[in-house]
Amino acid sequence: MVLTNTADVAIPELAGYQRRLLIAGAAGMIVSLAGLFMEPTQFLQSYLMAYMLWLGVTLGCLALGMVHQLSGGGWGVVIRRPIGAATRVLPVMTMLFLPIAFGMFRLYSWTNLDLVAHDEALQHKHLYLNTPFFLVRAAIYFLVWNTLTYFLNAWSLEQDTNPDPQFARRMQKLSAVGLLGYGLTITFASFDWLMSLEPHWFSTIYGVLIMGGQGLSALAVLIVVLVWLSRRPPLDRIIVAAHFHDLGNLMLAFIMLWAYFSFSQYLIIWSGNLPAEIAWYLHRLQTGWRAVGITLILFHFVVPFLLLLSRTMKREARTIVIVAGGILVARLVDLFWLIAPEFHQTGVSVSWLDVVLPVSLGAIWLGCFIWQLRGRAILPVHDPGFDEALGRIIEKAKERPAAAH
Amino acid sequence: MATSPAVYGVLAEFEDPTSLVSAAHQAHEAGYRRMDAYSPFPIEELHEAIGAHHTRLPLIVLIGGLCGCIGGFALQYWASTIAYPINVAGKPLNSWPAFIPVTFECTILVAALSAVLGMLALNGLPMPYHPVFNVPRFALASRNRFFLCIEAKDPQFDLESTRRFLETLNPREVTTVAD
Amino acid sequence: MANSQGTPPVIAPGHTFGTVTDKISAIVLARKTPIGWYAGFAAAFALTLLLLVSLTYLVLKGIGIWGNNEPIGWAFDITNFVWWIGIGHAGTLISAILLLLRQTWRTSINRFAEAMTLFAVSCAGIFPLFHTGRPWLAYWLLPYPNTMNVWPQFRSPLVWDVFAVSTYATVSLLFWFVGLIPDLATLRDRSQSKAGRIIYGMLAMGWRGSSRHWHRYETAYLLLAGLATPLVVSVHTVVSFDFAVSIMPGWHTTIFPPYFVAGAIYSGFAMVLTLAIPIRAVYQLEDFITMRHLQNMAKVMLVTGLIVAYGYMTEAFIAWYSADKYEGFVPLNRLTGPYALAYWSLILCNVAIPQLLWLKRVRTSVPVLFVISLIVNVGMWLERFVIIVTSLHRDFLPSSWGMYSATFWDWSTYIGTIGLFLALLFLFLRFLPMISIFEMRTILPEARVDEEAI
Repeated sequence: MVLTNTADVAIPELAGYQRRLLIAGAAGMIVSLAGLFMEPTQFLQSYLMAYMLWLGVTLGCLALGMVHQLSGGGWGVVIRRPIGAATRVLPVMTMLFLPIAFGMFRLYSWTNLDLVAHDEALQHKHLYLNTPFFLVRAAIYFLVWNTLTYFLNAWSLEQDTNPDPQFARRMQKLSAVGLLGYGLTITFASFDWLMSLEPHWFSTIYGVLIMGGQGLSALAVLIVVLVWLSRRPPLDRIIVAAHFHDLGNLMLAFIMLWAYFSFSQYLIIWSGNLPAEIAWYLHRLQTGWRAVGITLILFHFVVPFLLLLSRTMKREARTIVIVAGGILVARLVDLFWLIAPEFHQTGVSVSWLDVVLPVSLGAIWLGCFIWQLRGRAILPVHDPGFDEALGRIIEKAKERPAAAH
Repeated sequence: MATSPAVYGVLAEFEDPTSLVSAAHQAHEAGYRRMDAYSPFPIEELHEAIGAHHTRLPLIVLIGGLCGCIGGFALQYWASTIAYPINVAGKPLNSWPAFIPVTFECTILVAALSAVLGMLALNGLPMPYHPVFNVPRFALASRNRFFLCIEAKDPQFDLESTRRFLETLNPREVTTVAD
Repeated sequence: MANSQGTPPVIAPGHTFGTVTDKISAIVLARKTPIGWYAGFAAAFALTLLLLVSLTYLVLKGIGIWGNNEPIGWAFDITNFVWWIGIGHAGTLISAILLLLRQTWRTSINRFAEAMTLFAVSCAGIFPLFHTGRPWLAYWLLPYPNTMNVWPQFRSPLVWDVFAVSTYATVSLLFWFVGLIPDLATLRDRSQSKAGRIIYGMLAMGWRGSSRHWHRYETAYLLLAGLATPLVVSVHTVVSFDFAVSIMPGWHTTIFPPYFVAGAIYSGFAMVLTLAIPIRAVYQLEDFITMRHLQNMAKVMLVTGLIVAYGYMTEAFIAWYSADKYEGFVPLNRLTGPYALAYWSLILCNVAIPQLLWLKRVRTSVPVLFVISLIVNVGMWLERFVIIVTSLHRDFLPSSWGMYSATFWDWSTYIGTIGLFLALLFLFLRFLPMISIFEMRTILPEARVDEEAI
C-alpha cells in the first residue's frame, strides 16, 4: 500500500524543494551577515524576532502533537507526520540559538553591570537576571524540549512498523508530563528572552500569551503544508474539506485566544496605570508604534476572525491557505511589536534585516522540515485514532478514485 | 386534486431511520415536494432527502450580534461622553478599552436571543395544534418511530395513488391524516 | 478521547430508542418518587429557609450583621459569589465546548450540568444583590433614563459584572430550555395525567419532530454553543477583572483572566462529580453515566487543576520579580501571615491532593473520586477566600491593616445558598428529564443511517 512508503518515495519532488530552500536560506543568511558587521544590535534584534517566530512554529508543533496524543480527534491524524517533522527541526533550532547567547550583551540591558549597580530594581532581580543563570536556564529549556522531541519521534517511528498499542500508551504518558514541562519552560523562556528586554516591566500573562502565539504559528504553517500535500498524490484523495474545516476552527480558536490574552493584559495594565507597568505601553502607543498596534488588531484578529467565521473559507484549500499565510505574517508583526520598540523607543524603525532574516531563517527551517518529512511514511497508520479518522475516507478513495472531494 | 378538503395528507410509519431516509428519497424522486419527515432525533441526511433548503438562521444571528455590538458600544459611548460625562481616575471620557466587556456581553446576548427566537419563528412555534397529532400513533414520533407525511397540498397528491405509493416503501403502517 | 483498549463505553450496550426513552422519562413520569427524594428535599428546603431568615435579618439590620469591615470590604459575600459562578461554568463548558469538540460523552451529563449552571448562577446572584444593602434598588445598576439624570459608570468592572452575569443567566436559560424542547414533547406524549399533558404540552410548544424543524433546531443549538463558549470565558474573565483592574497587590495581575477561567472549570467539574456520583447510584443510571464519564471528568479536573497551580506559581514568581515591595509582601503574608492556615489548606486541596488523579487506579475508583471532588470544592472556595481576604487585610499602610472573621450570619447565608441550590436540583430531578433523551437516542448504534441501503 502506497501509504506505508516514506514520503520521499511517495512525493519525489520533495528532495528538490529541500535543496533549493536550504540554498536560498543560506544565501539569505550570508547576505544578512553584512548587517551583523554594519549594525550588530539591529542584526541581533531582527534575528531574535526571526528566531522566536520559527522556534515558535517548532515548539507549537511539539505542543499540538502532545495535545493530540492526549485528546485524539480526526484533526490531528493527518497532520501528525508534519508535526513530527517540524519537531525534528529542533536540534537545528538549538544550534541557531547560539547567536542570541553570544549577542545577549547587546540585547539585554540587565547584562550591563554598571547599569544594574545604579538601579535598585535591577539589583533585586540580579539573582534571576544574570548571565550565567540565563545560560543555564536556556540549556535546561533546550534539554527538556529536545528530550521530548527525541522520545516522541522515536516511539512514533517504532509504531510505524509495530502495531503494538504500548507505543501509543507510552507516547500518551510522555505527552502528559511533556505538556507540563513545555508550559513551565516556555513561560520562563519567554520571560528570559522577550520580557526581560525591558527588565523593569513584568506581566504574569506573558508566558500564556507566547504559548498561544506559538500554537497559532504552528497551525498556520501546518495548514499551508497540508494544503500543499493535498494537491498531489498520495494524500490528494485522503485530505478532505473536513480536515481543513477542523484545522480552520482550531486556528479561529487560537486567534480568539490571542486577542483575549492580549486584550486582558492591556485592559488590566491600562486600568491600573501603574508607572512600572504602563511604561511598556507608553512608548508603543504614544509614538508611531501605535500604527503597528492597530495593524495587529486588524490583521491578527479582526480580519482573520471574520474570514474564518465563514464555512466555505475554511473548507476550501485555496482560501484557507491564504488566511494561514496571512496569519503567519501577522505572527511576525506581533513579535516585531514585542521586540522592536525596546530598541527604538521614539518611533517605528523597520530595517531590511527585519525582512531578510525571518525569510532566510524560514527557508532554512522549511528545508530542514522537508528533509525530516521525507524519511517517514506520510500517515501514522498504526495510530489508535487512525481508522476512526481516516479509515472510511481511504476505503472510499480506493473505490471511487475520482470522487473523493 | 381529487381529494376531499378534510384530508391533510398521508402518513407512513417506519421502524428505523434508514427506512425513513430511503422512503423520503424515493418520494422526492417520485416528484413529491410538499412533504415532511418526523423523527425522534435529528437525522442529518433527512433534511436533504426531502429536498429542504438550508436555513437562514446564521444570517439572522449575525445581524443580531452586530446590532448588539453596535448598540452596546453606542450606549456606553453616549452615556459616558454625552449624557453623563464625569472624570473617573483621569481616564478619557471615551474609555474604549473599558467599554469592550459590556459591548461583548451585549453582542452575545442579542445574538443568542436572535438564535432562539429566530429558530422558533422560522419553525412556526409555538403551534399548539397540528393535523399530524390527530393520528394516535404519531405520539411515538417522540419515542422510537419514524414518519413520512405527504401533504394534500402537493400538486401530485392523490389520496389513493399516494397511499399506494407509500405502501410500496415498506412502511409499518399508512394512515390518512384528517385536517 | 483515544479509543485505547479497556475504555468503557459512553452508554451500556443493549439499549434501544424505546428503552432509553422509557428509562429516563420514567424517572419523571412513572416511577414512584423514592423516599430518599423526600428526605433530601426536606433537608435542602430547611436550609433554604435558613437562607430566607438570614436575608430577612440582613435587610432589617443592614450589612453590619456580616463580618465585613474596613479594610476588608469584601469577604464571604464575594467569595461565595465567585465560587458559585465558577461552579456554574462547568455546565456551560460541558454543553457548549464539548459539543463543538464533538465529544459524545457529554450527552448524558449535559442536561443536568446545565441545570446546575442555572441554579449556581441563581445562588451567586444573591450575594452581590444583597451586598448592595438595598436590594430593592438593584435596578439602579442598569442603564435606563431616569429622573436623577445619572448613568452607570461603565469604566467600573462592577457594572461589567451586571452585564456579564445577567447575560450569562439569560443565555444559560435559553440553552437549557432549547435543549429541553424535544424531551418535553416526549413527556407530553407519554404522560398519563391530564395535568402532565397540558403542562409539558405547553412547554413543548407543539414540537413534532419535523425534519425541517430539526435542521433549524440543530443550527440554533450549534450557534448557541458557539456563542456560549466565549461567553463562559468572558463571564469569569469579568469576575477576575473585578479584582485585577484595581491596583490592590495580590489582585492586580495580568494572569487573572485565564487563571480564573481555569479555576472555574476546575470547581465546576468537581461539583458535577460531587452530584453525579450519588445521583447515578440512587437512580441506577450507571448505564448512561458510565465510568468513562467519571474518568473524563477526572482528567479535566487534573488539567484545570494544573493550570490553576501554574497561576499560583507565576503569580508568586512575578510578585518577587516585580521588585515591588507591596507585591512581594503578598505571597509572604499568605504563606506566613495570620491566614496561613487557609493558604496551606488551599494548596493541599487544590494542588497537592488532586495530583492523585494522575493514577489510573484513582480515576477508576468512584468513592475516591467523590472524596477528591469534595476536596476540590473546598479548595476552590478557600482560593477565593485567600485571594480576597489576604489581599485586603494588609495592603499598603500597616496602620490601616485589619482582620476579618466570619459571623454566624456569614455562615448561615453561605450554607443557606447550598440549601437553595440543592432544593432546586431536587425539584429538577423530579420534574424534568435529567438526561437529554433525544441526544441519547442519537448516540445509539441503531441511530446511524446506513447509506448503502438507500
